[in-house]
Amino acid sequence: MKIKIADYCIRCGICEDLYPELFRRNYSEHCMDLLLDEIPAELEERAKQAAADCAVAAIQVVK
Amino acid sequence: MKKVMETDVAVMGSGVAGMGAAYKLAKAGGLKVAVFEKYPAQGGAVSNCPMCFCSTPDTPEAQKSAYEVLCRFSNYSANMGLISKVVKYSSEFPDIFLKQLKIEAPMVVNRPPEDYGNQRGYTMGHANGLDVGDIYFLQGRGQGHGMALALFRMRLMLEKQGVKFYFSTPIKKIIRENGKVTGAIAYEKDGTEVIIKCKALIVASGGISGNLEMMKELGVVKTKYEEAYQDGGQVLITFPDSCQDGDGQKAVWEIGGKKTGIVISADPQVPNPGVRIGKNTPWLVANQTKIVTEQPYLRVNEFGKRFINEEMSSNHTAMSTAIIENNTNMACYMIFDEDTARALSEKVEDGYVYFIFKGVKVENLRGQMDEAIAKGNRHMCHFDTIHEVCEYMGISEKNLKETIAKYNHASEIGYDEAFQTNPKYIKPVREESGHIYCYRILAGGYDTLGGLAIDENANIIDENNCPIEGLYAGGDMATASLYGNPPSNAGGTVYGAMPTGMLAGDSAAAYVKGADRV
Repeated sequence: MKIKIADYCIRCGICEDLYPELFRRNYSEHCMDLLLDEIPAELEERAKQAAADCAVAAIQVVK
Repeated sequence: MKKVMETDVAVMGSGVAGMGAAYKLAKAGGLKVAVFEKYPAQGGAVSNCPMCFCSTPDTPEAQKSAYEVLCRFSNYSANMGLISKVVKYSSEFPDIFLKQLKIEAPMVVNRPPEDYGNQRGYTMGHANGLDVGDIYFLQGRGQGHGMALALFRMRLMLEKQGVKFYFSTPIKKIIRENGKVTGAIAYEKDGTEVIIKCKALIVASGGISGNLEMMKELGVVKTKYEEAYQDGGQVLITFPDSCQDGDGQKAVWEIGGKKTGIVISADPQVPNPGVRIGKNTPWLVANQTKIVTEQPYLRVNEFGKRFINEEMSSNHTAMSTAIIENNTNMACYMIFDEDTARALSEKVEDGYVYFIFKGVKVENLRGQMDEAIAKGNRHMCHFDTIHEVCEYMGISEKNLKETIAKYNHASEIGYDEAFQTNPKYIKPVREESGHIYCYRILAGGYDTLGGLAIDENANIIDENNCPIEGLYAGGDMATASLYGNPPSNAGGTVYGAMPTGMLAGDSAAAYVKGADRV
């Protein structure tokens, strides 16, 4: 499983605060970095929850 | 690299004010509208703040009451013609947010107009609007605030209507020729200079809370705890990396716009770590610190002296303003004993606290404090003695002991001669209770307010109070014309910001079309 972040992400940082193993704020590029290219099985539920928690549905799960 | 772009109206910023302007410009029809945003996405400060908005109903009684409250609030230093328009525009909010943008409002507090300006908890200290209308609590998506979703949907709606958005493209300069604004200069991410030729420009780039140096230079931040005010910091609640760097204020001042005072939009805060769940999300709390610090109990400054009626603890405007104007280091200290901590574990003050609903309890307060302290928080402590608290927090022990003696006496006699605090809220502080607790509370906020002055058409004015042709402003940066100069309010967001943006949009549309002013 993969996840991606749409360009309309508002960089509020909810994802970094709740799921620091998956996301990190990139101050120099003003964006959120994805820390993993491929989501390991043990983190799949966390990634899905991160997508559900996003304020503007910018986190998308890619099968 | 350079490029030239032509549009009828350029909007600087895509927060709630810029969006309000673009919404009205799109509605006017027949105009080319371009929105330039420094940040990579829409929303501005509002995306991370409001879970609600205040809207004055469009009835004569409500409009009159709200108008009078706001005039009084500004001490008649606002533009009174602007106030009536802002109040009127606010009545459009339910249609825009609930019907057009389909944001749900699971709770609406309808308030009778005769009560405007009087209700504690929804007073001028209300963080997301003023006590001048009905309060709509919004349902956001996931863990986000409703306004983040609303402004995202508004962007999509406006794009369908032909509004062009240019993200990561900040406007840095305004072009004024023969007294009239004719364009602006923006920069793309790769440094390409974009010369924007336009007939009108609306400045709505928000506050300066991303620019600590500018805040220090202008005296907005004056504290030894300045790390709490850094971009991405812990006291200002706009989100980290917000890009609110004062570009709009600087560009307008450069071409002769009037300067107003700039203040921190008020919401007293105990800084992180361990107060919020993380560094980015102030609304996802890690513990009940905010609930405790909203209680109306003893507050002193570093001199150990009281400085306010503690009932103002949930009136954010009053509390932050008093902290900034009267205290050293923009700080105050809330102090209570074990008896009070025990009482809080049974119930908080009913009907008193801001945004804290009936039935809330503060359990294991000491444990919650210890957890935050273990994470490195140095803005709270608990000790057996007042001496230890004073030593740790840097409060004058001699004065504090005298203050506590008088405060406890006021409790005994049921009368607070010094600050007129209601005796039922005066909780004696006694070492004999077993323990003393203390929080350092700094004047914090959502953004900064002020910088630019506008007239009743949202036209930016110069130092002689004359409108600058073709130049308009809305949002937090223009609130000195709405709330008084310097602006003093915790409700810059949405109630003041969006209507001034909407007015700027309507006025700019009329100007470009050659019509009389709105």
